Amino acid sequence: MPMYIDPHIHLVSRTTDDYEAMHKAGIVATIEPAFWLGQPRTEVGSFKDYFSTLVGWERFRASQFGIVHYCTMGLNSKEANNIPLAEQVMELLPLYVGKEGVVAIGEIGYDDQTEAEDRFYREQLELAKEVDLPVLIHTPHRDKKRGTTRSMDVAEEHGMDPGWIIVDHNNEETVKEVLDRGYWAGFTIYPHTKMGSERMVEIVKQYGPERIIVNSAADWGISDPLAVPKTADLMRKMGIPEEHVQMVTYKNALTAFSLSGQMHEDDWLKAPPIDQTKKMSGNSVLRGGQVPRVEGPSDRVEN
Amino acid sequence: MNPKSELLAFLKEIIQKEADEKSMNWLDEKSQKIQDSGSKNAFYLAFSQASRFFSKDKLLLNPETKIKANALIDGFQPEFWNVLQTARAYLLLHFSLEKEEWLKAINQLFETGDLYEQQALYASLNLMPFSEEMLPRAIEGCRTNMTLVFDAIALNNPYAPSHFPELNWNQMVLKAVFMQRPLYRIQQLDQRRNPALAEIASDFAHERWAAGRNVMPELWRLVSPFINEKFMGDLEKVMSSEDLLEKKGGALALHHSDFAPAKELLKKYPEFIHGIEKGAISWEEIGQEYQETRV
Repeated sequence: MPMYIDPHIHLVSRTTDDYEAMHKAGIVATIEPAFWLGQPRTEVGSFKDYFSTLVGWERFRASQFGIVHYCTMGLNSKEANNIPLAEQVMELLPLYVGKEGVVAIGEIGYDDQTEAEDRFYREQLELAKEVDLPVLIHTPHRDKKRGTTRSMDVAEEHGMDPGWIIVDHNNEETVKEVLDRGYWAGFTIYPHTKMGSERMVEIVKQYGPERIIVNSAADWGISDPLAVPKTADLMRKMGIPEEHVQMVTYKNALTAFSLSGQMHEDDWLKAPPIDQTKKMSGNSVLRGGQVPRVEGPSDRVEN
Repeated sequence: MNPKSELLAFLKEIIQKEADEKSMNWLDEKSQKIQDSGSKNAFYLAFSQASRFFSKDKLLLNPETKIKANALIDGFQPEFWNVLQTARAYLLLHFSLEKEEWLKAINQLFETGDLYEQQALYASLNLMPFSEEMLPRAIEGCRTNMTLVFDAIALNNPYAPSHFPELNWNQMVLKAVFMQRPLYRIQQLDQRRNPALAEIASDFAHERWAAGRNVMPELWRLVSPFINEKFMGDLEKVMSSEDLLEKKGGALALHHSDFAPAKELLKKYPEFIHGIEKGAISWEEIGQEYQETRV
């Protein structure tokens, strides 16, 4: 069965049904970029607990379903506009960027392309350089084309290597420039907006599989955590060679994010030697009397 | 050598056996820097980045090393530690500040720690300089649902038995039962049994039976010294079980009871008496078999 990586998915918003379905569909690893929660946070402590969840509970939860969970750390562009809060978040970030399984600084970039967004985007590019991590760029939904170009211009101003940057949420209008300038191009398959699977197939046909990465960006909105395997299936049906399908739904994401030194294929291919603790990893996402339907750790725990 | 340098030398020795030269150089350099600068950030960063240099492979210790560990810190069982957490404990012991500052810094680390950092922190509570003050943190830690973190506090760790008040101790043991953790790995379990815990354990068994589910045989270890008229009903039920392992647990609980009807009941099972006397039936053996076959 083919393996997939979903390199952009906000799992804190997803249910255990999703995790089960993802595992069944062949998703072996996921990357959860730090983002906003649908409404702006008002306290720095909310960021702290969110970041801790990304490296703690969510990682544990994913492991219970046989999925390896990585994350990116950063201050998103929307919340960068609350400057006093953003400054406190910037002080918090150094605590998290060096942690195990943190594979990039992100998602950062522009939303409304304000001055504050620009300031914190630049500060975080510097942080990424300092700690040798790739960058995941969120491109704006509005004024997308210019916002995308600007994101790349500013990254280059800061001396970033395009090969270390994943520019996400591309569409037909932005992809050419992103690829031409040497960046990785992420595509988010959303059911109603952005990219649909059919459009994705056309893009891979036109541009080939090099440096193209498909993701679901599934979150608390209408979105599909199976977008990556579904798109792969459609690509196969539409005659895209298997090797190309694997590149855009698995291998490219691995190559790009493993620049961090924090992501290795062995993490899922060769599970670490089973010790007593690991073997007994409690399945505390199951409640009393439920029998786990997933492979792997098999004890069950009431909450 | 003072006790701290002795402990540091010991930790270094057991890490060294499992790590390469490059990683040891990194550890030397960082621990020196943390010690000289007293910088929180240097400590936090090294504590996180240790995962880039040390594996999560279990330490392999010979019997002499295990004895030495216990002589250094009562109840210290690094044979249940991995290399990474040992390296993290080593870094932690180089971070010294005035009490209030130290507590603030360590609490921040607990609150922002990832899964494995939390494991390292909770497992080394007894090695910490102000370990008495860590009691609220340890109690809070038991509220986790991450097995790895819970185990770091509850299993093979001398902190809870030597610090937890009875209420918190009982909550921890009950949660271990709930999470089906191996009770035989909880230190001083026998010494800290108490009548309230026996009541709670019995109630728990009744709930499980009501739901048509089995009861972990190790649970009867908690009830054993307090067996009375009331608990006899439970043990009679256990002894009528179809499950051999459950019956072994019941038999062992009866065996260690001074209550005359318990002795009477056990007499009906000479094969268990024989097994217990030969040492073939023990809490550890029952716990291990349960973990291997039922969990």
